[in-house]
Amino acid sequence: MAKTTRFKSGLLSSLIPFGFNVERWGYVVHRVTGVILIGYLAAHLFETFQLSLGPGAWANTMAALHSLGPLEMVGLWLVAGSALYHGANGIRLVLNEMFGMLMGKPIMPVYPYSPTSLGRNQKIAVWTITAVVLVLWLWAGLYLLAGLGVV
Amino acid sequence: MLLTYITAMVLVVVLTIHLLLESPLTGVQLDATLLFPVAKANLIYFKVVFGLLLYAAVIHGVNGLRVIALEWFHPRERAWLLSLLAVMLMGFFLALGSYTLLTVA
Repeated sequence: MAKTTRFKSGLLSSLIPFGFNVERWGYVVHRVTGVILIGYLAAHLFETFQLSLGPGAWANTMAALHSLGPLEMVGLWLVAGSALYHGANGIRLVLNEMFGMLMGKPIMPVYPYSPTSLGRNQKIAVWTITAVVLVLWLWAGLYLLAGLGVV
Repeated sequence: MLLTYITAMVLVVVLTIHLLLESPLTGVQLDATLLFPVAKANLIYFKVVFGLLLYAAVIHGVNGLRVIALEWFHPRERAWLLSLLAVMLMGFFLALGSYTLLTVA
């Protein structure tokens, strides 16, 4: 019983950002996209491994992928979006956590406490990342889903 | 944490190179990159890039999965088991990728 409570507390509170600030939304999306990407990495490693087995194995793998129909491209689009967001937000996190950039100076936590880590620079970074990623993801969607080809 | 940041920075650079080499920006169509001779030639020609990408992606990805599992499932006294599984998974992925690179390239 105690273990179930701990599980729900960790998983649900991590995945439901409603009522929290934009940084918390970024935290959730970063983790969800991370899980999508590690799943894709495993599949991509197995896919590339078929190259070492020869043209027959490679052709079979490609045929299996193409048999998914539109789901193949929709999946790739999801992976593209995940990679774009995870990468861009990851750069922000490295700047924050490794170099201490974009963050305000610590202040005395007096009620109502306003986190200095979510100051003007941080908000600009978060919304710029969101906008750039959405534009690039849309472009990736046009390329992958509509078959527009070379841009 | 340092390992996460270093592999993240390597990934941003190397993954960008990987995507640009096989993207519409270079005039290469997606279908063309999936042809056996093209995919094999890419692997041979850019083996250093792919080697670096393999190690950075696997270390960053599996370690990230371990951190997410710690946050979501709170294994507490079994955290060591999670670390052991992560190391085994890393070893498996690295062996699979390295075998592919060594036999093809």
